[in-house]
Amino acid sequence: MTAPRPYALLAEVTYRCPLHCPYCSNPVALPVAALLGEAPRRPQGGGYSNGELTTDEWKRVIREAAALGVLQIGFSGGEPLARRDLTELVHAAREANLYTNLITSGIGLDDDRVRDLRDAGLDSVQLSFQSDQPDLSDEIAGAHAHRRKLDVASKIRAAEISLSLNFVIHRRNIDRLPQMIELAESLGAERVELANVQFYGWAFLNRAALLPTREQVTRARAIAIAAKARPPRSMEIFYVLPDYYESRPKPCLNGWGQRYLTVNPIGDVLPCPTASSAIPDLHFENVRARNLDWIWRESESFTRFRGTDWMPEPCRSCPQREIDFGGCRCQAALLTGNATNTDPVCEFSPNRAIVDAILRDINSNDAARDWTYRVNPKELAVSS
Amino acid sequence: MRFIMLMAANPISDATQPRIAKGVRLQLDPATGKTVLLFPEGIVELNETAQEILSRCDGRTLSEIVRDLAEEYDADVAALAADVRETLADLNERKLIELT
Ligand SMILES: C[S@@+](CC[C@H](N)C(=O)[O-])C[C@H]1O[C@@H](n2cnc3c(N)ncnc32)[C@H](O)[C@@H]1O
Ligand code: SF4
Ligand code: SF4
Repeated sequence: MTAPRPYALLAEVTYRCPLHCPYCSNPVALPVAALLGEAPRRPQGGGYSNGELTTDEWKRVIREAAALGVLQIGFSGGEPLARRDLTELVHAAREANLYTNLITSGIGLDDDRVRDLRDAGLDSVQLSFQSDQPDLSDEIAGAHAHRRKLDVASKIRAAEISLSLNFVIHRRNIDRLPQMIELAESLGAERVELANVQFYGWAFLNRAALLPTREQVTRARAIAIAAKARPPRSMEIFYVLPDYYESRPKPCLNGWGQRYLTVNPIGDVLPCPTASSAIPDLHFENVRARNLDWIWRESESFTRFRGTDWMPEPCRSCPQREIDFGGCRCQAALLTGNATNTDPVCEFSPNRAIVDAILRDINSNDAARDWTYRVNPKELAVSS
Repeated sequence: MRFIMLMAANPISDATQPRIAKGVRLQLDPATGKTVLLFPEGIVELNETAQEILSRCDGRTLSEIVRDLAEEYDADVAALAADVRETLADLNERKLIELT
């Protein structure tokens, strides 16, 4: 099939991060070849000897993305503020006429940097919080971060940059939805996103500690529906469902290779940020070797699950197939071992029993379980 | 990419000055030649009416916008005013404009 045109680029500019969220969707480990920096991946000088794309390489990626039709860029990671050239990259994105979003923990954002980013044309900041309570938040982040985030939120407000608050929801904080909405309102956010944890990367590893109980999910849903119906002030509220508790899968990415592309810190181009770790048998192209246009239109990684031809039953003959696209390929791979399967969240999937067993396990014994804190990929930890 | 039409909760007064909301950008989509609104994680492709109205949301009041459009398109003021109100109410509902 002919390639559609992408709308948004997620630029994961680094995997380095000062926080340790056990819910982090970042990959737990990177492919060995990436870590060793095999020939085509090695940067041609510049400040990022750890394998990360250089400033000039990112600028080229931004220009190529704009030429492909991309209208929005999200700078994410890891912690994008860990890149000292972030302002320069935001500026390059604005020059390419992209809407610029910074998706950040806020750690590393002082007055000067907020001003520089605003002057570079940054359109919006999505600031993540772990909960509304300082102690619980710091426990989840594995660092003293909450009070600094509060301070960062007020700096963003003062600079008149559009502010969204992002909360990842899981067993330890799901009972505090109303308070989290209140926090977002008191910080003057335009928007709050309450996203139930999606099980990829570290979150997949920590699933037993993070998955909420059915009772919690039922309560949270009622609170979210009520809050959305009566939003406070002029704040918008988004609630991302806990898909394991649903009977139909999420319409992942609006279809593989349809609207979004991700470039990860070492330059691999992914249909979705979690694809490289969830689907290891798919070969992903690198911007150091190929241009973005070819990768988007022609590469095996983007064409493999584009459209509906790849679908097995029950999706192939299902009337929902153009609505949910058979769900998430990464979830199919992680839970069933085969990325081509129907997302096992779907009630029609022959593998739904896998999800049910996970839910049964949590709901029959909801004792708190330990989690493993996220650490930086060792080889990518810069010594600067 | 959706453009949902919602009914206005409150009628918008003639003196209202609609403005594009913070964090929302109106620009041309070079790939289609159409005008779009860009906001965090979202894009709305505007129909012609919405585009003509939004490009005039620069401090002008509702009645000024209606008057300007009526002149430009030689259209009936009453019908046009109803269209403009409906479009603005929809955009306001979606927090893409502010009514001051
Ligand atoms: C991976 S983070 C990187 C940016 C930055 N370090 C931060 O946390 O804000 C990107 C966004 O995804 C959210 N996120 C992280 N892990 C997630 C998960 N397992 N499910 C859903 N959202 C997640 C974060 O809250 C953040 O808003
Ligand atoms: S989710 Fe937490 S650990 Fe992961 S990159 Fe963001 S701040 Fe760092
Ligand atoms: S069978 Fe496939 S297309 Fe049908 S609802 Fe389930 S996941 Fe969606």
